[in-house]
Amino acid sequence: MNNLILFVEDSDEDFQAFSRIMKELGINQNVVRTCDGDEALDYLYARGQYEHLTAVARPAIIFLDLNLPGTNGLEVIKEIKEDDRLKTIPIVVLTTSSRVQDIETCYAYGANSYVTKPMGIKELREMIANCYQYWFKTVILPSN
Amino acid sequence: MKNHNSSIREPFNLTNCDYEQIHIPGAIQPHGVLLVINRSDWQITQVSNNTETMIGLTPQKLLGQPLTNILDNQQIAVIANCLPDNYQQINPLKVTIATHQENSLFNGIVHSLDNDYIILELEKYSENSHINFTQFYHVSKNILNQIQRVSKLIDLCQLMVQEVRKLTGFDRVMIYQFDEVGAGCVIAEDCVDQLNSYLGLHYPDSDIPRQAKHLYTLNLLRMIPQVDYQPVPIVGQIGIKHKPLDLSFSVLRSVSPMHIKYLKNMGVGASFSISLLSQGKLWGLIACHHQTPFFIPYEIRNICEFLGQVLSLEIVSKEANELLAYKMSLQLVESQLINNLGQADNITSALVKDPDNLLALVNATGAVVYTEGNLITLGKVPSQEFLTNLILWLDDKFQKSLFVTNALPKVYPPAIAFKDMVSGLLALSITKVQKNYVLWFRPEVLQYVNWAGNPDPPKQLAEDGTITFFPRQSFELWQETVRCQSQPWMPWEIEGVMELRSAVVGIVLQKMNELTAINLELEYTNRELDAFAYIASHDLKEPLRGIHNYSNFLLEDYGHILDVDGVNKLHTLIKLTKRMEDLINALLHFSRLGRQELNIEILDLNLSLQSITEMFNITKKAENIDIRIPQPLPLVMGDRILLEEVLTNLISNSLKYNDKPNKWVEIGFLDEETLFSNNDLHFVTFYVEDNGIGIQEKHRETIFSIFKRLHGVNKYGCGTGVGLTIVKKILERHQSKIWFRSIYGQGSTFYFTLPAER
Repeated sequence: MNNLILFVEDSDEDFQAFSRIMKELGINQNVVRTCDGDEALDYLYARGQYEHLTAVARPAIIFLDLNLPGTNGLEVIKEIKEDDRLKTIPIVVLTTSSRVQDIETCYAYGANSYVTKPMGIKELREMIANCYQYWFKTVILPSN
Repeated sequence: MKNHNSSIREPFNLTNCDYEQIHIPGAIQPHGVLLVINRSDWQITQVSNNTETMIGLTPQKLLGQPLTNILDNQQIAVIANCLPDNYQQINPLKVTIATHQENSLFNGIVHSLDNDYIILELEKYSENSHINFTQFYHVSKNILNQIQRVSKLIDLCQLMVQEVRKLTGFDRVMIYQFDEVGAGCVIAEDCVDQLNSYLGLHYPDSDIPRQAKHLYTLNLLRMIPQVDYQPVPIVGQIGIKHKPLDLSFSVLRSVSPMHIKYLKNMGVGASFSISLLSQGKLWGLIACHHQTPFFIPYEIRNICEFLGQVLSLEIVSKEANELLAYKMSLQLVESQLINNLGQADNITSALVKDPDNLLALVNATGAVVYTEGNLITLGKVPSQEFLTNLILWLDDKFQKSLFVTNALPKVYPPAIAFKDMVSGLLALSITKVQKNYVLWFRPEVLQYVNWAGNPDPPKQLAEDGTITFFPRQSFELWQETVRCQSQPWMPWEIEGVMELRSAVVGIVLQKMNELTAINLELEYTNRELDAFAYIASHDLKEPLRGIHNYSNFLLEDYGHILDVDGVNKLHTLIKLTKRMEDLINALLHFSRLGRQELNIEILDLNLSLQSITEMFNITKKAENIDIRIPQPLPLVMGDRILLEEVLTNLISNSLKYNDKPNKWVEIGFLDEETLFSNNDLHFVTFYVEDNGIGIQEKHRETIFSIFKRLHGVNKYGCGTGVGLTIVKKILERHQSKIWFRSIYGQGSTFYFTLPAER
């Protein structure tokens, strides 16, 4: 089973926190991390800096922050969901904003779910545990 | 009505004297002789019946005879050579007639009757009343010099009556001026000392009937040397061409018996009047009265006619000047008003800023400015109640934005009670739909006019009860005709008002444009603020989260090698990050409150309170709390989520800032009828009362300030200081208010209003 997670997150501290907690919870997934939207798209299309890779593994799920430098998260969702080959990959938006417009727009563009990053270690652990439980245990992810 | 014989005449009275044909009386006054002469053969065709007494020849000896019986050939030649329109050039002919042993001197006055006939009138005169050209010149020059020095029309009139009286010797000389309905007023007077003054007397149109006024425009003079005279009929050829003899231009014409009666009742023995014309219409009269019979010769009458014409010319120019000056002063007032409008923040305050100006614009004594449901009164106006009802009544009466009347009580009976203030109304509608009006008022004309004539006139009512005229009755009659009326509104005053309206509308439109521009800017700024708040909180939260997480990781990974103090410091760090997040969230929430759309619906707050109470009961299970709701709350209009937040915050404060062992908070509403109305919204006042720690008076305003806490962070639980700010903001968006009463140490009650369900 493909268990590659594409993690698009520009904050190193946030990514560190996620990684640590996932390790604590014993979550053993492969993670490819990109720091911005353009890099993520480059990876998905095997272009740019990922051009030379002979085989680019297709992620099973994408966790996406909205507040990215350069191409913002919404654009990334749009591009992915408009591409026939990529649109089946579930996108989970993982971001600070709880603004109604942002939530609505993400879903409108085709995001599969929207989660806000909580403040508080306990809440963060809970959220990550729930996310993993849902997406990797409860839900059946699409195959390649 | 054909008549050439004065004995057959229907008697005239008050109702039909307008129809009396005064120019064909068929008789003359007895102080002269009248002859009608055929120009082609100089035959006398008609004479007055008094020729025997006056010139010693009976009518029979004259009728059918040539004129040479009276005049010599030379004089006849003078008449013959004179063009029919030019008899004034040859008048008066000096005629000497031998009568009864002596030679009598007559002034012969000729005028055309028609193309074929002339009328020759002979008036007796005495030598010493003869005036020659030099005397005439001196008299007139003197008067003209004085006229030059007088600037106002009223002063000129006064001068004129004095000069005419000096010239003629009449006991009383007056100038009447007629108004637009033909009523008269004595505007100047000179009289002997022992007479009562008629200055200021007003009399109705009927005192001088219409056809008399018409005749006075054709023939500028009329004289009655002896009021108590016996008319002398005219005899001779039966009606030239079967037409009655037209005596319009005769100097001896017998006048209407009504007029004679009128003069007698005034105690007048002789009268003489000169017409004053302005632009072809009868403007007024110079009227001369004498207590006893009094005759002035033809030449003097001519000088008076000349003076009358001079005055007439002056009337035209002076009235035009005075009108121009008045119009210019109105223009000045108007431009000041419009200037104020341009500079003011709102129209209403600009209009009422200089009350005198607003009144002067149309020469009013009272004014009302009605805007946005508010009445502002200036000058003399009736009660608010009357004005409010009048404004309601006016709603559908405007035509082209105006309603003008100088007799308001006649069309709106409630005004009768206030006729001394509102007999005249000039109403301007600035905007019809939202009812922005300006009303100007004028008092009853009678307020101005108060003639102090002698209340006991010398003559009594006739025994047969016929109405007789004398000045006091004339005045009372006139008063009746102008009851409940004001001075009429002049066209240029109405123009001024319309120009004011244009200016106001123009300014309103301009301000609307400015407002639209401002609104656009505001929208732009709001969007920017929105973006700012979002970005700020977003970008602030990220590093904050980092600090929080890493502090936790630090604690988890290295807590075991730190001492208690070090661990505590880390805990503090973590707490601080939480606090900062609360502050940022509160700020974000507050900034959104100002700009989000309200979702207004009918709310049952009782349901909201149920769930809120449940929540507090659960979260504060450990404490001893009691949430009381004595009666069900009425339905209100508002946004459910926001109003629930208000209740939650207030109840939370009540329970939080409370040091009593048994904490209670009571939520209710004041059982008064609508407290105040604002544009069809009725508000109900709610209260949240507690037995908490109370609030000191000095903090009255500051407790609503954002982030302002009255206690330390950790005292009475953590407060961000934004709860009441949010409550106030939400209520402001519901057009409501919030205030409180408190006894420090015992408790507080917060009051707020909400729109009741309609």
